[in-house]
Amino acid sequence: MIRLRAIFSKKDRAKYISHLDLNRCMLRTFRRSGLPIWYTEGFHSHPYFSFALALSLGYESDCEILDFNLNEEIPFDEVRNRLNNVMPEGMRIISVAEQVKKITEITKAEYSFSLVSEDSTEIYDAVMELLAEPEILVEKRTKKGVKTVDISSDVEIVSCELTSGSVDMVIRLPAGTQTNYNPSLFFDALKKVSAVPFETAKIRRTGIFCENNENFF
Amino acid sequence: MLKEKIEKHLLEIQKPSRYIGGEVGSVIKDKSKVDVRFAFCFPDTYDIGMSHIGMKILYSLTNERENYWCERCFAPSEDFEAVMRENDIPLYALESLDPIKDFDFIGFTMQYELSYTNVLNMLDLAGIPVFSRERTDELTQIVVAGGPCVCNPEPLADFFDLFILGEGEEVNLELMDLYLEMKKQGASRKEFLRRACHIEGIYVPEFYKFHYKSDGTIERLEVMENAPETVKKRIIKDFDKVFYPDNFVVPFTEIVHDRVSVEVLRGCIRGCRFCQAGFIYRPLREKHADTIVEQTKCLCENTGYDEVSLASLSTSDHSEIDPLLTELLNYTSDEKINLSLPSLRVDNFSEELLEKIKKVRKSGLTFAPEGGTQRLRDVINKNVSEEEIMNTCRIAFEGGYSSVKLYFMMGLPTETDDDIVGIAELSQRIIDLFYSMENRPKGRGVQISVSCATFVPKPFTPFQFEPQDTKEIIEHKQKLLLDSVNRKRVKVSYHDPNVSILEAVLAKGDRRLCDVVYTAWKKGCKFDSWSEHFHFDKWLEAFEECNIDPAFYANRRIEYDEILPWGHLDYYVTHEFFVRENKTAHKAVTTPHCRLKCSGCGVNKEIGGKCFD
Repeated sequence: MIRLRAIFSKKDRAKYISHLDLNRCMLRTFRRSGLPIWYTEGFHSHPYFSFALALSLGYESDCEILDFNLNEEIPFDEVRNRLNNVMPEGMRIISVAEQVKKITEITKAEYSFSLVSEDSTEIYDAVMELLAEPEILVEKRTKKGVKTVDISSDVEIVSCELTSGSVDMVIRLPAGTQTNYNPSLFFDALKKVSAVPFETAKIRRTGIFCENNENFF
Repeated sequence: MLKEKIEKHLLEIQKPSRYIGGEVGSVIKDKSKVDVRFAFCFPDTYDIGMSHIGMKILYSLTNERENYWCERCFAPSEDFEAVMRENDIPLYALESLDPIKDFDFIGFTMQYELSYTNVLNMLDLAGIPVFSRERTDELTQIVVAGGPCVCNPEPLADFFDLFILGEGEEVNLELMDLYLEMKKQGASRKEFLRRACHIEGIYVPEFYKFHYKSDGTIERLEVMENAPETVKKRIIKDFDKVFYPDNFVVPFTEIVHDRVSVEVLRGCIRGCRFCQAGFIYRPLREKHADTIVEQTKCLCENTGYDEVSLASLSTSDHSEIDPLLTELLNYTSDEKINLSLPSLRVDNFSEELLEKIKKVRKSGLTFAPEGGTQRLRDVINKNVSEEEIMNTCRIAFEGGYSSVKLYFMMGLPTETDDDIVGIAELSQRIIDLFYSMENRPKGRGVQISVSCATFVPKPFTPFQFEPQDTKEIIEHKQKLLLDSVNRKRVKVSYHDPNVSILEAVLAKGDRRLCDVVYTAWKKGCKFDSWSEHFHFDKWLEAFEECNIDPAFYANRRIEYDEILPWGHLDYYVTHEFFVRENKTAHKAVTTPHCRLKCSGCGVNKEIGGKCFD
């Protein structure tokens, strides 16, 4: 069994493929590629696919991580090309490599997005105001119910630009097996302090990081 | 461009990937190089419509032609329909995301009566006038329909420009060829219809006018514009060689039949007297086992599906079923593909066959005795004996199965309370059989699911003349069944009788029902086949307002010499045969299946000789 890791992008119309549907979609893609997929040995033999982080419906990504197993050793580029030949529109395998780091090493994910409003200056001010607050309380839905969390120390602003019609931001949020914050938490918090309404657009996961902001792959 | 407008709202609704296209296997063409555009519409949601094998065939077939482009279109769910109406998004096709109102053909497949209101709703969403008489006289936006329901298209006649009777693989292209030729000549819609009605299989309803007697029955049919007196369905003669897709559109979201399905045979030899499909798809034609295996492999490789099912009315009637399954199972087990085999019959269910199926299927077994007593099974010509049912159950129990699902019908012609009690007694004998067996599966009790549908008399069957039981009688019989069965071991399920009544009315209705369908839709009826959307009260209001008595259609015995609303349509099986079979049914006498003895239904004359070699 050969353990491999693919980094793939999910953009355009592919952003409407839900996380639940993605597994099935990948399995079919692998089957179309004719690659020798490794199947589990148990009673219900099935291929092994593991997606490191779930991506919300409607979000794009440049950096989705898929761990999978093959039966034979095949050059990384060949694996990538064979998959890309049969990938759905909007999805591309960027690279295939060995599984170097452990998925549990992931600590952060980076997102870019636009906050769209005719009155973007107002939105920009609201962002600044929000970031200056000592605590940012938001309601986070978990399996156990709704709980209030303070995300003030967890939102890391990479960039924030004011354009006419939008505020374009890049932020990093905790991700991985411990804490996982969706950018929607930030939007919720911003909606509370913003005087004007805004829409979110072009939400995209742009990076995945470990401790000390080291790139995961 | 509609795409942006659509995408703006996609995250507000359930399962958005249904509405944006981009699936693997979907066919994209350069509009500027396309001469004729066909919107293939399924009048139900994506999840259901995408499972339809006919759409897959005709989609691929049309798109093989470089200058023709066939796209898919489905009924949006309630949430997305609201978004579309609110934001002026017209109904569009999934490949180009272009509005279907700009297409040359808008084609619907009519698979069940309760999808009729969805057609009107989809036309309305598209911005196309629902009545054909209100559409432009230009040659564009031709609204057509095919599928089993169009064997009696009269309740839909006012909404369609033409109907395609029978199998579409050849006639669809002939129709598009004629369209292209006449479009180039600058012909009008009417001129096109005048010529189209002479293509075999094409029925243009506006050229036919019904005159009624004072008792409501049909007095005569007036044929206009020199259209043919009778319209014959189309069939594919060489079924083994007929086009079959080498690829399917692979959906992202889960659909009802989310697998490769390969059609193994068309038609049916059985002649069950209630079954419309058993008559309108005659004669039986098979694909060779090799062809089926080849098509299975090709589709699995191209789609990436890991599940295959064989599609037909009765798969175990395939003359090469044993070698076929052996070869298929060799392939599917090597490739880790699941093979599912619906439509297996009780009587030719051998031990060897079960051994093979057991390898692939772990869930329960389903049989359809349809009638609770031998007498009634003889009436409906379901040539299955109790001994065969018991024998099959024994084999199934020995094979480790402990649950059996049985399909029955209720309200069949000549049926009495004894026949209903017979369902309970038959179930009990199966339970007794289970407990009498030393080698029965251990640890579990036996479970029998009895699913009891209400009989709906259908056109082009020997029972087309029969009245349907009234609601009161159906409800009495349902209660009787519940009271008769062993409630611990037998689970009974049945349909809402109102659904079956409406099905009967629409199935056997005439052109006067168009107004009812329209009125019901105007009152908000759509997705009638979904119990949560079915509003029988609104339908009753519509009948009342249109001065139509549903009982006239559902509960009246039709005389043998009456002019039928579908009498001018020729599905190869003769009226004389249906009359003969109806009389034979009332004597509780069976008719052997086509391979044993030709019953003289008339199909062989149409195809020039024999149905079988």
